[in-house]
Amino acid sequence: MQKPIATTRSATGIPTGKLAIWWVLASEIVIFGGLLVSYIMNRLGHGEWGDYAAHTNTMAGAVNTFVLLTSSLSAVLAHKAADQKDGVKAARLLRLTALGAAVFLVIKSFEWTHEIRAGYTITKNGFWAFYYTAAGLHGLHVLAGAVIMLIIAADAAKNRELQRVELIGLYWHFVDVVWIFLFPLLYIAK
Amino acid sequence: MSADTHSHPSYVKIWGILVALLVVSVCGPMLGIKVVTLITAFGIAVVKAYLVTKHFMHIDVQPRYVAYLLLSMVAFMVVLFAGVAPDVMRHDGLRWTNVAAKAEVARGGHGEAPPAHAAAAKAEAPKPQAQPVSPSEGAATFQTLCSPCHGPNGDAQGPVAAALNPKPANFTAPEFWATRDRAHIEKVIRDGGPSVGKSPLMAAFGGQLDPAALTKLVDHVMHFNKAGVAPAPSAQPR
Repeated sequence: MQKPIATTRSATGIPTGKLAIWWVLASEIVIFGGLLVSYIMNRLGHGEWGDYAAHTNTMAGAVNTFVLLTSSLSAVLAHKAADQKDGVKAARLLRLTALGAAVFLVIKSFEWTHEIRAGYTITKNGFWAFYYTAAGLHGLHVLAGAVIMLIIAADAAKNRELQRVELIGLYWHFVDVVWIFLFPLLYIAK
Repeated sequence: MSADTHSHPSYVKIWGILVALLVVSVCGPMLGIKVVTLITAFGIAVVKAYLVTKHFMHIDVQPRYVAYLLLSMVAFMVVLFAGVAPDVMRHDGLRWTNVAAKAEVARGGHGEAPPAHAAAAKAEAPKPQAQPVSPSEGAATFQTLCSPCHGPNGDAQGPVAAALNPKPANFTAPEFWATRDRAHIEKVIRDGGPSVGKSPLMAAFGGQLDPAALTKLVDHVMHFNKAGVAPAPSAQPR
């Protein structure tokens, strides 16, 4: 199949695919930023939310932060391998990154199960509504990233479309950055 | 290679720094000092985000407009905060009251009433049977659950009352008691205003109160009937 011209041209100084990813991330800043800014202003107006936040599991959040930071390392190493035209290695590292995503989601599901069983549901109060919405939206991004990563890894293993390895990496690092801010907001500020 | 290729720094070293910062951000707040918590939690988050953006996303080797694009979006968030936060962080003003926010603060108790997690813990544990309830507990429950609307003295002058339509009941008015008895008060507290054809703004509190606490709360509401007015047998609440 012939590629669209937009795929290969770089009139803006960077490949169009990368430009598109930056625009996606710009819109994601508004999506997550709007949510987090709303959370912060409500948190500042509700001192009692500190009591609710005391029931989040800091250690689970910290372990998940470690998992995401490590998966970001494998994502950037995959990018390096792709730059060196080593598609097989890039694919292996991308799959490792997807494994990190799976570990993150498993830890989160255990965490949520425990909290929901203790009665802390999304309708409990404003804090838990934000907690599940923000972490849930982030979790969906983790899931989507993992699926896309596996699709790209399948191509990369055949040394095809290696430029996409960096693109999914950019998205993944952004997901990591969002969690870097979610972690202190939801788990540490008590 | 395209024009935007770049060198690769030692990613493992950067990852090591990020993990060390994570450890500090978890341990710092354990000291319990607010300034240290703010610096270690949020200050370090900014540093970590910078490291990821610079070294993993290579923002510094992209055309300058990419950074401007992303920073513009961050600036929009600052504008959003500056524009909306004053109204969200305050719960009342000269001509307005955020009823929902005040009610949430009252439910949270801020040390005056059992916070939500205590209620949740209660849901986990078996309900204590015939737990003794002190007479003052009815008053304390009233202050927490009822006074935001009905006022601490039951005279419908609570901080939220001004914003409500219809207005909350005034327990100090003799005409109020001309049409209500104890069973009516108990039903409204337990099942909410709509259960007796009254305002839905009067929420049902049955789920939050065990029978003993409900009885004490009804006792406290009944004590506002200083004149001892009793409803006529055929009287209907107005």
